[in-house]
Amino acid sequence: MAVATASAGIPGSALPGPFGVGEYAAALRDRLRGFAHVQLTGEACDVRLTRARVYFELRDERGAVPCAMWREDFDRLGLAPGALAQGAQVVVAGGCDFYPGSSASSPHFSFAVTGLRIAGEGDLLARIERVRRLLVAEGLCEPQKALARPALPRTIGVVCGERGKARDDVLAGLQRRGWAGRLVWAFAPVQDRHAAPAVGRALSELAALPDVDVAIVARGGGSLADLLAFCDETLCRTVALLRVPVIASVGHHTDRTLIDDVAAVSCSTPTHAAEAAVPLHVGAAREALGRGSARLARHGRRAVADRARVLARLSRAPGEHVARHRRELHQDLRELRASARRRVDAEEAATARRAEALARRAAAAAGPLRTSRERRLDGLAAALAAHDPERTLARGYALVEDAEGAPVTDAGAARAAREVRIRFADGAVQATLKDET
Amino acid sequence: MTDVTYETASGRLESIIERLDSGEAGLRETLELCREGRGLVEFCAGELDAVSQGLDALRLDELVARLES
Repeated sequence: MAVATASAGIPGSALPGPFGVGEYAAALRDRLRGFAHVQLTGEACDVRLTRARVYFELRDERGAVPCAMWREDFDRLGLAPGALAQGAQVVVAGGCDFYPGSSASSPHFSFAVTGLRIAGEGDLLARIERVRRLLVAEGLCEPQKALARPALPRTIGVVCGERGKARDDVLAGLQRRGWAGRLVWAFAPVQDRHAAPAVGRALSELAALPDVDVAIVARGGGSLADLLAFCDETLCRTVALLRVPVIASVGHHTDRTLIDDVAAVSCSTPTHAAEAAVPLHVGAAREALGRGSARLARHGRRAVADRARVLARLSRAPGEHVARHRRELHQDLRELRASARRRVDAEEAATARRAEALARRAAAAAGPLRTSRERRLDGLAAALAAHDPERTLARGYALVEDAEGAPVTDAGAARAAREVRIRFADGAVQATLKDET
Repeated sequence: MTDVTYETASGRLESIIERLDSGEAGLRETLELCREGRGLVEFCAGELDAVSQGLDALRLDELVARLES
């Protein structure tokens, strides 16, 4: 390389030169073109098709290389329109190239692509599987599942596309639950290389809000390449360590992204994610609460009323006990009296029978003595009758009695009495005595 | 009561009702359980009211901007 004569070099510098930059650029191009031609694989980004060339970047976790391909070579591949899409996993063949630029144009490096193959889903799945195994090995699929999920969150954060259908589906799910609390929308791109960092940032900011109880990440269906953002390792690590439970619903039920693995819950649709975020049906919970409240009130009332009834029954018990005993005693007394009466009657009858028997026996034993005694008695009665004043009256005599009924037996007594009563056999008359002397 | 959540409150309420339904609680315990249960019912009703007042939708970017201002 010839040293330029126009300018002197840096004094004291041991490096050769100065050389003309165009000459150096050409030498650099030649050197780069001399690098071995190889195959590279990575994710296509910033795909740009022009009439002459196809430009894109090939990226993976560790670096990126700008690629360029002649359009006619690209068209010869016969790829389906859109096959080389943003995020597509591709394998390219070629080598380094360098456009040295000029005084009017900028230089640039590129990997000159001479062959290209769109890597199949198998390649993507294999890569996802590697990351999945890594996350599992580090235990990052568990922390979210250990978080407590409130049955009735007051504030729900939702990460989704601003104009996607997932947004409406989340609202429909919440409406089905009868939930109408506070909703924080965190809109983010959900498909391209900006999606993963944006979704991770949105989730981190939602988790930083103290009121957010649960977060939903929702995205509709798409190809595996479309959903690749939700397999991003950094995003998954972010989700795994959030303090707020994340409910993921990415793609259709057949899709399984890595965020589904690390999230607290994975749902097949955004509607189901919303329902998972609010496990309770608000209306049903309110009805159940009403029933519980009524049962409590009933127990409260019964607690006193039932015991009051028991107490009242117990308080009546002694009286009823006494009354029962009184009835039993009365019954016993009646039975006793009846029994005594029967006994007395029986004794009386027996006594009468014995008396009669004794009388008969006495009569039989005392028959002769009685006859003589009766005869003597008759004689005495006759003697007594002979002295009876009544018999004297019957013969025509009269008996004078004073006011007290005492017999007046002499004249002096008669004068003293003055008022007498003269009794005849057929009756008595009152008389006033007149003394003629 | 700061650690009480709807699910802990409703769970406790269910256990209270179960205990009362068993008929094994005495008068004093019954009255205390009823008092505690009424408090839990009020708490749960408040939680249900909080998510029944109408959707309050916010945007995270606006919320963050408001908090940072």
